[in-house]
Amino acid sequence: MSRLLSANVLLGIAPIALIIALWQGLVSFGFAPAVLLPPPGFVFGRLLQQLATWTFQQEIAATLIRLFAGFAIAVVLGVSIGIAAAASPAINAVVRPIVRVLAPLPKVALYPALLLLLGFGHGSKVTLVAADALFPILLSTYYGASTVEQKLIWSAMAAGTPRTQILFRVVLPAAMPSILTGCRIGLVISCIVVFLAEMITSTDGLGHALVTAARTFQAVDMFVPLITISLLGLILNALLGALRSYLLRGFPEA
Amino acid sequence: MKAPQNGRGSNDVSHGCENRRLSGRLLAKSVPYAKASDGMTVVSARPSEWVRPVTSKEPASAIIEIDRVSQVFQTSARRDHVALSDISLTIEERAFVSILGPSGCGKSTLLYIVGGFVTPTSGAAKMKGQAITGPGPDRGPVFQEFALFPWKTVLGNVMYGPRQQGVRATEAEAQSLALIEMVGLKGYENFYPKELSGGMKQRVALARTLAYHPEVLLMDEPFGALDAHTRTRLQNDLLNIWERDRKTVLFVTHSVDEAVFLSDKVVMMSKSPGRIREVIDIDLPRPRRRSELLLDPRYQKYVVDIERMFDESDEAGIAS
Ligand SMILES: Nc1ncnc2c1ncn2[C@@H]1O[C@H](COP(=O)(O)OP(=O)(O)OP(=O)(O)O)[C@@H](O)[C@H]1O
Ligand SMILES: [Mg+2]
Repeated sequence: MSRLLSANVLLGIAPIALIIALWQGLVSFGFAPAVLLPPPGFVFGRLLQQLATWTFQQEIAATLIRLFAGFAIAVVLGVSIGIAAAASPAINAVVRPIVRVLAPLPKVALYPALLLLLGFGHGSKVTLVAADALFPILLSTYYGASTVEQKLIWSAMAAGTPRTQILFRVVLPAAMPSILTGCRIGLVISCIVVFLAEMITSTDGLGHALVTAARTFQAVDMFVPLITISLLGLILNALLGALRSYLLRGFPEA
Repeated sequence: MKAPQNGRGSNDVSHGCENRRLSGRLLAKSVPYAKASDGMTVVSARPSEWVRPVTSKEPASAIIEIDRVSQVFQTSARRDHVALSDISLTIEERAFVSILGPSGCGKSTLLYIVGGFVTPTSGAAKMKGQAITGPGPDRGPVFQEFALFPWKTVLGNVMYGPRQQGVRATEAEAQSLALIEMVGLKGYENFYPKELSGGMKQRVALARTLAYHPEVLLMDEPFGALDAHTRTRLQNDLLNIWERDRKTVLFVTHSVDEAVFLSDKVVMMSKSPGRIREVIDIDLPRPRRRSELLLDPRYQKYVVDIERMFDESDEAGIAS
């Protein structure tokens, strides 16, 4: 088991190593000037150096707060609306059209309006992240909750569970695999969107750090936030994966 | 009245003595548990369950009455499909009744109506004189697909019912452990359903239902998904359990052998529309042993007669 795991980890690292090698090659063989594309060793060194500084830590903190707040709102809203729509035809009738209209809308288009309404701080970014992460979570929750096996519900009802509690005792746990799949997609989207929002308009955060560096032609400092957000995404995804395999330990293929 | 099993056995005086001697390895296994741990706490958990008045001398009374029930389904082609037509059936307390019939004749539908999961289009089903309006812990279903909660362990699944009934966690756990042992799954308490074989899952499903002490067991082809060997073993175990506490069982199957082997009464149904064709009393001695029964000419005659009736109805169906 652990040997299989480490083999998989090695296989997973290979393409990442290849990209870094390619990157190094591009610089070494002079295809790209080192001023515009600094060599990876240089970037990673700078990253370590930056990670130790208070200002850079502040940027990371700002991004993480927005990411978590937006993602958390999306999870709470997505799961509750999704379950409610699956449980009640009336709620479904209300939710379905509005989801159909809003889901394909590029939420970034709302960002200028959000900025005017909520200002340049956390509010506008958190809202944008929540709006973007909401739909995958909502849709997969709805799907999971509406395909719960009828006989699970019947078994619980026969055991004395009142109808009102079926939602929490059966539907929610039975829909958990779909919900967590939605959360995984939502988390990746959250990482992208928070960075994007900070790049467009912000006074702090990793995205803002990147734009500032680009404006002043600091190529190295441009790559540092980029790599930081990828690493953050990697870590958060691993955490969610661990939570997933804990919560779904009883489910087949989890 | 030390062990709960004995307490339940005493409900039925006329069978009590034989049961204690012959009810087989399940009982033999479960008694040491009750002695080893404090049996009294298990007993005191639900006193009404164990200390029931002795009623076996009274004439058997009806527990389930199905009165002119019809069920019409709307098919997706907007056409009415009559699944059950004018079914009337009375099931006596503590009887083992099998419903036998070809696929699609409405056996499951009838069972779901008694379970309260499906409301019939017309007619009514009654449990102890009260109209059935929904599911309740007095009628415990066991489905062919097991329907175990995948997020709960074996113990968690079995404890679910007692916990829903408001039994305290420690008591529910003690009762559930005893039941898990009774169905032969000691040592698997902390396994998840996905880690069990089909036969083991069905044992858990049975234990989960027995755990909340339903008066009637509603079993929908519970052994249909199992291989022949597992099926036979589970049939024997079910009979042992049933002969001990004599619940009313409504058992859906399409195996003639299974129906004759298990039942006091076999209800034969015919298809399109689903009707009751014949109700056959199976007059074979209990407790039943498979090895003896298979050699018994009376058993063989029941099986052959019922199979012949099915063939006749098939021919009639083709002719018409
Ligand atoms: N929800 C439903 N909607 C429409 N038709 C249904 C529904 N449930 C059952 N039927 C129809 O009712 C009839 C009886 O179904 P039922 O499942 O009770 O049969 P069965 O005797 O249990 O069959 P089997 O032995 O294959 O399990 C079938 O013709 C089926 O197509
Ligand atoms: Mg069926």
